[in-house]
Amino acid sequence: MASTVIGAGIIIEGEITTDEDVVVQGTVRGKVTAKEAVTIQQGATVEADVIGGGLVVAGTLTGNITASDRVDLQAGARVVGNVKAARVTIADGAQFKGNVDMDV
Amino acid sequence: MASSVTVIGRTTRVRGRLSGDGDLQIEGLVVGEVVTSGNVTIDAHGIVGANVRGRRLVIRGAVQGDLLGEEAVVLEDGARVVGDVRAPRVAIAHGALMRGAVQTGDDGAAQPVVRAQASAKPALAPPRVVAPQARANAVAVVKPPAPIAKSASSISSGPAAAPRRPPPPVVPVLKKTKGQVLKKKER
Repeated sequence: MASTVIGAGIIIEGEITTDEDVVVQGTVRGKVTAKEAVTIQQGATVEADVIGGGLVVAGTLTGNITASDRVDLQAGARVVGNVKAARVTIADGAQFKGNVDMDV
Repeated sequence: MASSVTVIGRTTRVRGRLSGDGDLQIEGLVVGEVVTSGNVTIDAHGIVGANVRGRRLVIRGAVQGDLLGEEAVVLEDGARVVGDVRAPRVAIAHGALMRGAVQTGDDGAAQPVVRAQASAKPALAPPRVVAPQARANAVAVVKPPAPIAKSASSISSGPAAAPRRPPPPVVPVLKKTKGQVLKKKER
């Protein structure tokens, strides 16, 4: 599926809404709403609340995460914010500060 | 890293400023200024409701705003532009619609664009208007009415009555998205 890519070096200040996958390599400030997977790659900076189907974080994220499926914080990720998802994984080496809310 | 391409996909809507380095390909909707040091391509499905600035701009979609190219601006078939165009080289292909002032030449980037008066005369534009040399006057090149309007919402009122004033390029209404509009955050 076609997807949206925010390349390294690009800064978006505002709101992103999409029905497709989003890959962030650059900087996003504002809000991200996606129906599919959101990937925040290493080197990316996101200062935004993120709503998505699934979320993979390897970069820096400041904001609350809401995912309908799962959230994976990978090694090297740096996340400050609350996470709400059906399933959450935090890899060894990920930095995280916030609350986790899973469907228990 | 430096050659990364940013793609705003078809179903993606961006409300806010988009800036930085690297090439941009816009297939969705962007309401907010677009500034990059790289090239910008606005796809046939792309809609931008603000000024666009880049090195080389290739437009196949709709833009409501000024286009500033540090190298060139190319309006291709299917482009709909309402706004001024300024670049050392400007090309308007057959089938592109635009309304606004055009300024070509190397000095174009430095000078303020003078808005074209109501005398937007339909120039008999060759299929490709490329002005390599600087032209003193800003020339508004407006094509005659296209035989088939691209957008469904176009209203072609009296095409025969006023042949010298082609209907304006139809730019889709940008504010019909139902999502909540971003509260302006100053950062």
